[in-house]
Amino acid sequence: MTPNSSSANSAPSRRSFLASTAFAAVAVAGGAPLLTACGGSAETGEGATSGKSAKKLLPTYTPRNIVTPDIPSKNGSSAGFTGKVKLDELATAVPEKLGTGAKVKIMAPFWGTPPKQDCAYYTALNEATGVDVTWQNQDGNTYGEKIGAVLASSSIPDMLVVPGWELGGKVPSALVAKMLDLGPYLAGSEVKKYPNLAAIPSDAWQRGIFGGKLRGIPYPYSYVPNIAPFYRKDIFEEKGWEVPKSADEFLALAKEMTSKKAGVYGCDDMKWSSFNIFGSLGGSEKALGWKLDGDKLVYRVETDEYLEALEWTRKLYAAGVVHPDARAVSGDSSLRFTSGKVMMYNADITAWYGKTAEMVGSKTTPNFEMAAMDIFGHDGGDPKLYAGTPANMWAFIRKDAPKEVVENLLAASNYAAAPYGTREQMMVYYGVEGAHYTVKDGVPVKTERGNTEVLNAWSMLAGPASFIAHPDLPEVAKAQVEWQQRMGAFVTKPPFYGLTIVEPSRYANLSDQFEQLEDDFVRGNKKLSDVQQAISDWKSKGGDKLRDWYKKEILDKNGSAS
Amino acid sequence: MSVSLSPIARLRAPERPVWEEPPSRVGLTAKGVFLAVCCLGVLFPLWVVVVTSLSPRDVIESAGGLVIWPQGITFVNYQELLSGGQVSRAMLVSLGVTGFGTLFSMAVSILAAYGLSRPGSFGHRILLMALMATMFFSAGLIPTYLLVQTLGLTNTYLSLILPSAVSVFNILVLRSFFMNISPELTDSARIDGAGEVRILWTIIMPLSRAVIAVISLFYAVAYWSAWFNAMIYIDDQNKMPLQNVLIQLVQKNTGLPTGLSQRVNTGELSALGLQMAVMVLALVPVAIASPFVQKHFKKGMLTGAIKG
Amino acid sequence: MALQAERPPRPAGTRGGREPQQPRRFQGFRLSRRTRTAARLGSLTWRTRLRRDRTLILMTLPAVVLLLVFNYVPLLGNVVAFQDYNPYISTNGVTAIFNSPWVAFEQFEKMFNDSNFWGAFENTLVLFFIQLVLFFPVPIVLALVINSVIRPRVRALSQAILYLPHFFSWVLVVTVFQQMFGGAGLIAQILEDHGISGFDLMTNAGIFKYLVTSEMIWKDAGWGIIVFLAALASVSPDLYEASAMDGANRWRRMWHVTLPALRPVIALLLVLRVGDALTVGFEQLLLQRDAVGAGASEVLDTYVWNVGIQNGDFSYAAAVGLVKGVIGVCLVLAANKFAHLLGEQGVYKK
Repeated sequence: MTPNSSSANSAPSRRSFLASTAFAAVAVAGGAPLLTACGGSAETGEGATSGKSAKKLLPTYTPRNIVTPDIPSKNGSSAGFTGKVKLDELATAVPEKLGTGAKVKIMAPFWGTPPKQDCAYYTALNEATGVDVTWQNQDGNTYGEKIGAVLASSSIPDMLVVPGWELGGKVPSALVAKMLDLGPYLAGSEVKKYPNLAAIPSDAWQRGIFGGKLRGIPYPYSYVPNIAPFYRKDIFEEKGWEVPKSADEFLALAKEMTSKKAGVYGCDDMKWSSFNIFGSLGGSEKALGWKLDGDKLVYRVETDEYLEALEWTRKLYAAGVVHPDARAVSGDSSLRFTSGKVMMYNADITAWYGKTAEMVGSKTTPNFEMAAMDIFGHDGGDPKLYAGTPANMWAFIRKDAPKEVVENLLAASNYAAAPYGTREQMMVYYGVEGAHYTVKDGVPVKTERGNTEVLNAWSMLAGPASFIAHPDLPEVAKAQVEWQQRMGAFVTKPPFYGLTIVEPSRYANLSDQFEQLEDDFVRGNKKLSDVQQAISDWKSKGGDKLRDWYKKEILDKNGSAS
Repeated sequence: MSVSLSPIARLRAPERPVWEEPPSRVGLTAKGVFLAVCCLGVLFPLWVVVVTSLSPRDVIESAGGLVIWPQGITFVNYQELLSGGQVSRAMLVSLGVTGFGTLFSMAVSILAAYGLSRPGSFGHRILLMALMATMFFSAGLIPTYLLVQTLGLTNTYLSLILPSAVSVFNILVLRSFFMNISPELTDSARIDGAGEVRILWTIIMPLSRAVIAVISLFYAVAYWSAWFNAMIYIDDQNKMPLQNVLIQLVQKNTGLPTGLSQRVNTGELSALGLQMAVMVLALVPVAIASPFVQKHFKKGMLTGAIKG
Repeated sequence: MALQAERPPRPAGTRGGREPQQPRRFQGFRLSRRTRTAARLGSLTWRTRLRRDRTLILMTLPAVVLLLVFNYVPLLGNVVAFQDYNPYISTNGVTAIFNSPWVAFEQFEKMFNDSNFWGAFENTLVLFFIQLVLFFPVPIVLALVINSVIRPRVRALSQAILYLPHFFSWVLVVTVFQQMFGGAGLIAQILEDHGISGFDLMTNAGIFKYLVTSEMIWKDAGWGIIVFLAALASVSPDLYEASAMDGANRWRRMWHVTLPALRPVIALLLVLRVGDALTVGFEQLLLQRDAVGAGASEVLDTYVWNVGIQNGDFSYAAAVGLVKGVIGVCLVLAANKFAHLLGEQGVYKK
């Protein structure tokens, strides 16, 4: 099998890790946070735009307080809704159809089996928005290859949804070259026509600036770190274990928990959490891997924290407290967690709801309870966390689209961005009442038909400001938001927060080797000297030049976000 | 094997030709053990997969992975996969593409293999080289996509057949078998005035039933399990073949298939159980096709022709 | 075939050209020999040969056209190996070729100066030899064993069972192996119960290449027997009977009747396998890369994937692909020559 003919999805890389957790997130009705992943490079439109010059490009922010959240956003958290759904009290976010019946084609990634084009859900939404959408739902796991091919052809769909983790290689330059500048339709007060889009926070909109023009309609997300260390609260309580408060405590506890005879291990792979515990820059996106040390820019791999985090993770592996399947990157880590094979694991914050909901009514572990532990500083003090990205998926419109098509697409996005607690939001996330869902005791439950038709297509065209709502498990929603708020207090924004930076192509793949190296190092397959060698290679092969580029092109022009 | 190890007389299979000496006990035992070990080595994992696909979600949860001993049986995973129009619709597409594709590929390949099978025929070496070169150089995704698009094949079933219709490997295998047929037979027919097409149809093909069965199977399996072309060329969900519909469920280590995630989330189903059910479904066509192919492997089927 | 058997012999006819008329029965084989020799000596002009073989050439036409359109035309795209190609700078990927800068052999230099490339190259070759020695003979042995089974039921059943693993996906095969031989697998658990700790075959870089070869044997060896069975089916039982009458025992019959029947197929598959030496598995290796580290598991195809394709570096991927193709062609020519030396046909005749 040649690489060309094979599956992108089989690569157990960060990209797939992120993509998979993210789509699980989208699947969960309600908050649909997305993750950050590698940014990319381009030859055209290098650089970024922020500050004053960005202001001119951005839509004027006009929050809509249609429904007041039960827990308002604080420290960058999502807003939380913990109430029940009352159909007759739903507000209206789009009082009149903005669509004029134009035929549009939208290509978007899709995880799962897409419904038919003429299904009741798509038909109802076309009717409600007044836009005649034809969907091209493409397999999300191989989406990168598909957009690579489509962008190189001369027939691009009217609207293209692109997740951030597909921005590798030359895709950003393609978006700059082939996608429409939305400025004339949205900048400043133009956006008023689309009030739900105007309510998307400016942070998120700023991420939609590609090549100096506003091109992407963002899906907003909380910038609080999205990877949470989870533990089995039920078992902790039963055994009287204390939630660890330092790196040493974590290791000691994991050792205590591990019983190879019983096939139970302390934890799964904790690399992503270790970066947060040791205050290393996350590097989920390249530009977010830089910080200012005095007035010198430092990249994450150059920091002591980076090596310390990796050393600690390596210690966990060496101590034998990590499940062997995690070492071999095999199987499903969340299944190991819910089945009690590992006591602690890290995953996207949305897993809190996803796994809890999944385990409701479990016969084998009826008392299942999980929780995210607060990220601790490695020495037991406060953690030092870095902000993630405020948006990481965009909908683009092709450059030569006629005005009517553009306006209809914006109308569709405006509908999809309707805030929680509105009829439109219920329509997008649950479909038509009766046909696709019913409400029992204030909890919407999808019908068989809803399960097959109402999936993740429409919800990707844009989103409201980040929120979390689980009417069936309001206490989980509350805990998630509160965790984000507690962690948010420790978050610093790195200098290039919120920017979509297109690096020069000669540096594009410079840092790509580190992820593999990290995984090899923590598992004992590479030595510390290999990592150090790679770091000095990185500097000499262009890292230092890249640093100068960031300083000159981004920092001096736009200033720092931190 | 205990039965076959009893008296020598029982060892004599009725099908054994009279001239063949009866096997030694040691030989027979060794052979039996060898085959049994091989088959068990295959069957045990298969067993685990089947059991997991039939296990209720709670059993999978407590096993934390594949289930070895069944504790309760449910068909809910299969019901879930086969209900709804999607899978059956996609199965029709796959059957159609596999059927027409295999016929087309076989026609093209048999003609080419025969055309190249005569030593010393005009240009056969150059043609052979030209064919073989394609085995070693592959074009990138973008040029291939642009070509298919330029030909107007995107979003048509032809895009699932034409680009991958010819396998040079299969042509070479066919050709090698054709060349091993005694030239005596074809030459005499030629002298009788038979044209090439007639020789191919009346002499070569009947004599090559075994290899034709094998190569048809190769093509059919390739069409049936292909998904990459559909992923790249097909935009319309109704035209997606089965593999693309099912692949979502098995390909990932992490994450849930969203289409079913609502029911997985509500604890009705287990993602792993569903994935294993998909694996089992993928084996069904093979289990069905296998006897048809084996039918052509019977020894001595060629005697009549050669003697005649 | 009944048709063949029943057709009454006709008087020898001619089919034009210069082919001499020959009595039918005994000279047939010699006829074709002579024709070939004549062709080599050039006693037949190319026109005559073209006219004589035009039907044969016409028969290859559909395949040639398909390959021309769907393989050769897009292959032209490989010129981007000499460029720093950006498919997106023009209206489409083809016009982009004319607008991308030419960099001559820069991509190739980058490749040959990359130690990771050479690491992958070495792993590929080692893995190829291990596969050649440990994997390649297995289907042949299996086919011989199955072929020697007399009882039709046992035969059919064991064949059907052995085919099945081919249809498992690699993800599943690796998962099954992990659950058997992994650190928390079945065997590790049993050993743990007996006080032996630390069994884990899946994350041991030292035996990794043998591990993936065993996975490959498990998955594909059974499927591999099918071509050999087809070859065995075309052996006439009369040959066995005659050989037995001459006093040849079981082993001698296998040596003198069975193996000669398999030899052309074995030679063909061997030559093709050698030509494809640099392809040693992709998805399987990618899936298990993190378990043992890139040092032990990176092969050319995964290297191209990681360095070229995943990053959208089409030029680099094309360059590695070209090098791989050139090496493949050289290998297949060499292997074919070698087959000729051993008196085999190989893929094509001299």
